[in-house]
Amino acid sequence: MENREGTPLEGACRNYEEDLVLYYYAETGVSERTMIEQHLAQCSRCRKFVDDLVRVLPQMAPKPELPQPFWNDYFRETVAKLDEQTARQNWWRRWLVPLNGWLVPAFGTVAIAVFAIALMLEKGHFKSTTETVSPNIPAEVLVDSNQLEFFKSLEILESLSTLEQQDRAQPERKSSHTESERGTQAA
Amino acid sequence: MKTRNLFLVVIGLVLLLESGARADGDDWRKLNPKEKDKIRRNYERWEKLPPRDKEHLREEWDRWNRMPQDRRDQLKQRFEDHRRGQD
Repeated sequence: MENREGTPLEGACRNYEEDLVLYYYAETGVSERTMIEQHLAQCSRCRKFVDDLVRVLPQMAPKPELPQPFWNDYFRETVAKLDEQTARQNWWRRWLVPLNGWLVPAFGTVAIAVFAIALMLEKGHFKSTTETVSPNIPAEVLVDSNQLEFFKSLEILESLSTLEQQDRAQPERKSSHTESERGTQAA
Repeated sequence: MKTRNLFLVVIGLVLLLESGARADGDDWRKLNPKEKDKIRRNYERWEKLPPRDKEHLREEWDRWNRMPQDRRDQLKQRFEDHRRGQD
């Protein structure tokens, strides 16, 4: 180790050198400190070593000492910046804080309602519902295509047997009619 | 997160109910006013029929459905002709 003037630090006792550096930085325990102090009282080389540490080490790592006005300004500027940032972030939150409890559910309800109404209007649901409500016909008939078809065909069903009888009779009449026509033509 | 999930569930239920209701009433909605009126009149008449006639008409309906399509068309045509003749 060398100091700034180039004078080397004189060596301490080999066993104490490391402890003396810790002693300088006040990083020793009470018992070690007492032991080192007892040794320093007897050893001039180690005393000289500690004196050199006191002289040389502060020059090697000088503490940056900033003037008090700098710290005052620094503090003032930091506080001002924080205030400005808080004000900039929260201007809209101040307005929304009272609404915060019910804003989300209210928005959700309105959105659902608007969505459902738009869907129904788009498909003409309102029109068809109001126009086609039939209080006389139960819903189970309205939703069943087979039932609807049954009631639509009710008149045919009522006269189905008659229609079939007529249908059976008609070809006979037709055939007898053609035979009589043939007879007339032949005559 | 909880609110968003709730919102999605509600939207899903609305869509489900809406589509279900739409599908249920589709056959009725597709009918024209004349057909609807006819069905309404026939239903009211059917309601007043005695149970035996109702049963007979149900049997006739089953028989009608079992008929081939051309036979049905033929009978339908005859029915229309007969009705026009009455008018």
